Amino acid sequence: MKKKLSEMDYGEQGTVTEIEKDLQKRVAGMGIRVGKTLRMVTKQPIKGPFDVVVDEAETSLGLDMAGKITVEMTK
Amino acid sequence: MKLNTGERWDLIDRISKETVTFGAYQHTLKDAIGELTVKPMTGIPVAIAVMYGFWSVFGSFAGFFTDGFFVRLFDVYWLPWLQEVFPGQGDWLYAIMVDAGGFESGEFVLSSNCLESFGVLTSGLFVAIGVVLPAIIIFYLMLALLEDIGYMPRLAVLLDTVLHRVGLHGYAIVPTILSLGCNVPGVTATRILETKKQRFIMMTLLAIFIPCGAQIGIMQDVVPGLMGWILLYLIIGYFIFGYILNKIVPGKAPEFLIDVPPYRRPMLSNIGKKVWGRIAGFFKVAIPFVLLGCAIVGVLYQLGVIRFLGDALAPVFVGWFGVPKETAGPLIAAFLRKDLAVAQLSAITMTPYQMITAVVLVSIYFPCVATFAMMLKEGWKELLGALAVLTVVVFTYGGLIHLIGILLGVA
Amino acid sequence: MKILLMGHPNVGKSVFFNRLTGANVTESNYPGTTVDYTKGWMKIEGEDVEIVDVPGTFSLDPKDRAEEVAVSMLHESRDAKVIAVIDASKIERGLYLAMEIIEEGYPLVIALNMRDVAEDKNITIDADRLERILGIPVVSTVAIAGEGIKELVSRLKEAKPVNVDDIIANAANASDTESAADAGGAA
Ligand SMILES: Nc1nc2c(ncn2[C@@H]2O[C@H](COP(=O)(O)OP(=O)(O)O)[C@@H](O)[C@H]2O)c(=O)[nH]1
Ligand SMILES: [Mg+2]
Repeated sequence: MKKKLSEMDYGEQGTVTEIEKDLQKRVAGMGIRVGKTLRMVTKQPIKGPFDVVVDEAETSLGLDMAGKITVEMTK
Repeated sequence: MKLNTGERWDLIDRISKETVTFGAYQHTLKDAIGELTVKPMTGIPVAIAVMYGFWSVFGSFAGFFTDGFFVRLFDVYWLPWLQEVFPGQGDWLYAIMVDAGGFESGEFVLSSNCLESFGVLTSGLFVAIGVVLPAIIIFYLMLALLEDIGYMPRLAVLLDTVLHRVGLHGYAIVPTILSLGCNVPGVTATRILETKKQRFIMMTLLAIFIPCGAQIGIMQDVVPGLMGWILLYLIIGYFIFGYILNKIVPGKAPEFLIDVPPYRRPMLSNIGKKVWGRIAGFFKVAIPFVLLGCAIVGVLYQLGVIRFLGDALAPVFVGWFGVPKETAGPLIAAFLRKDLAVAQLSAITMTPYQMITAVVLVSIYFPCVATFAMMLKEGWKELLGALAVLTVVVFTYGGLIHLIGILLGVA
Repeated sequence: MKILLMGHPNVGKSVFFNRLTGANVTESNYPGTTVDYTKGWMKIEGEDVEIVDVPGTFSLDPKDRAEEVAVSMLHESRDAKVIAVIDASKIERGLYLAMEIIEEGYPLVIALNMRDVAEDKNITIDADRLERILGIPVVSTVAIAGEGIKELVSRLKEAKPVNVDDIIANAANASDTESAADAGGAA
């Protein structure tokens, strides 16, 4: 099943299948890219940012960005 | 040759497959704490506790050294000694350097403490060393500790929601907190913000609403009971005007994208070096400004300039802001030395609410000259813009505080 | 000669900088900005070498003012050598930045810092092999303990620009030789 990162729930995990073009470069430096396993750690209330872990590196990104990343759920 | 993002990752994947093996990773206690302090349910209470702890330690440490040691040193030994040995009691040089004194039934009398004497060598030195030094040391020490442990990014994540509403994002907490020590490095730290719009909003808010260590130190010393209210008014103003600025300043306010590094054991040598660097930097900036500002204020008093301006502007202060007319002088002097102005205000009889208003006014009034110079680096248009905002804020917010006081029946 | 210390924030650049340089360190403001950086001097084989602690950046596509300055500093020092400091426990994203710098034609050495952290996470890196594939010196370091710093300095002279095509070819070869070796082992 595929989901946007912005729709993922606490603790869910999956493989990144797509990142919208305009975001690819922006998140590249954080190690976030297609094919990587991504775990959703937490999100902040009231449209706050999302915290994710990729390759044991934690990154926090805003809601709009999270809506541009698609993840194939594994658990 | 250059690769595009996808090609570069493909190559790195291939290289990584050849050279790196990732063994099973056991999550540690540190990772667990890392997650607990960033999840809102647990993270927000922790953040509140950390901030409260920060403030309590700051207040008691600074108070301990200032009241317990420096006040005695300066008022009991230094001031009387200087008053004795400095030549020319009553003339202008004596007034500027040591003690402007006062007149009681036409008779010149010496001041009894270093906050009233207004000499460069008495009030100036006392503020710089006795009040500001302890405050700044403990402040930078605790801040370095939080930074080196790796707490700041997590605080940024927790605060992003609110700070995004004022056109900034979570990391704006770093320049904001840094400015509580000194606005100059605070302005420098705006470099972590993305756009010109964000940096403009940040610098303007810092210059107006964030009192520096010198001011906080002196407020803590002379009006400790009112600190809570003063800070509350400043924080509310920060958000109200941040919200408005975000609406009217053109430009983009991009979202938050930050790395959240793991917690680390802080290295003592690193903390030592950082704290020392910041204190040295502060003193290079602050000492000349405190002493020079003190001297200029002294000269202006001697020449009667401040009395003249105070008399001329008193109706505005009384009518618009609701503070007693005696505050006009200190409020004028605050253009040059906010810390001394606060000390002067504390000696005037007025209601607690008037005191709160007056001290908030001093804070939001005019950024110190050093901050000004820093902001100029970002561009003169930004500086002029910030000044325009400042003028509007002083009158609207100052008036609003007065109005609230009237409505509450305390003004 | 001029050497730029570059890498992500928090990877140990400043620890390197402090260990490499002596007392003669200056903090400067990058013209027209509020961004500060530090530079200092060291002697390598009798030559005075300038070292710059460049503000941290995640990539050469700047996302804030500090990163802009980092990229400008790189571009204004066309003749500089770069020490790319990488957090070995997050090696892939570190290599991303290092590759970007290599692609721009700068002579580079890689410091795989935080080896201790990588070991704690059970990550093993074959630095020799990485070095052969990239064609530039790769040195494992633990900056806070001073480990590997001497080697890093002594190998600075081997830094040279490399062609990305060569790296691609080397990577392909490496996987060939490995599968050949595996096949040989099985026979
Ligand atoms: N465990 C470990 N920590 C390190 C190492 N090198 C640096 N650090 C720590 O990593 C943190 C960031 O280092 P710093 O030099 O400030 O990073 P910079 O942002 O790249 O300049 C500091 O707390 C250092 O003590 C290392 O090799 N191992
Ligand atoms: Mg550094």
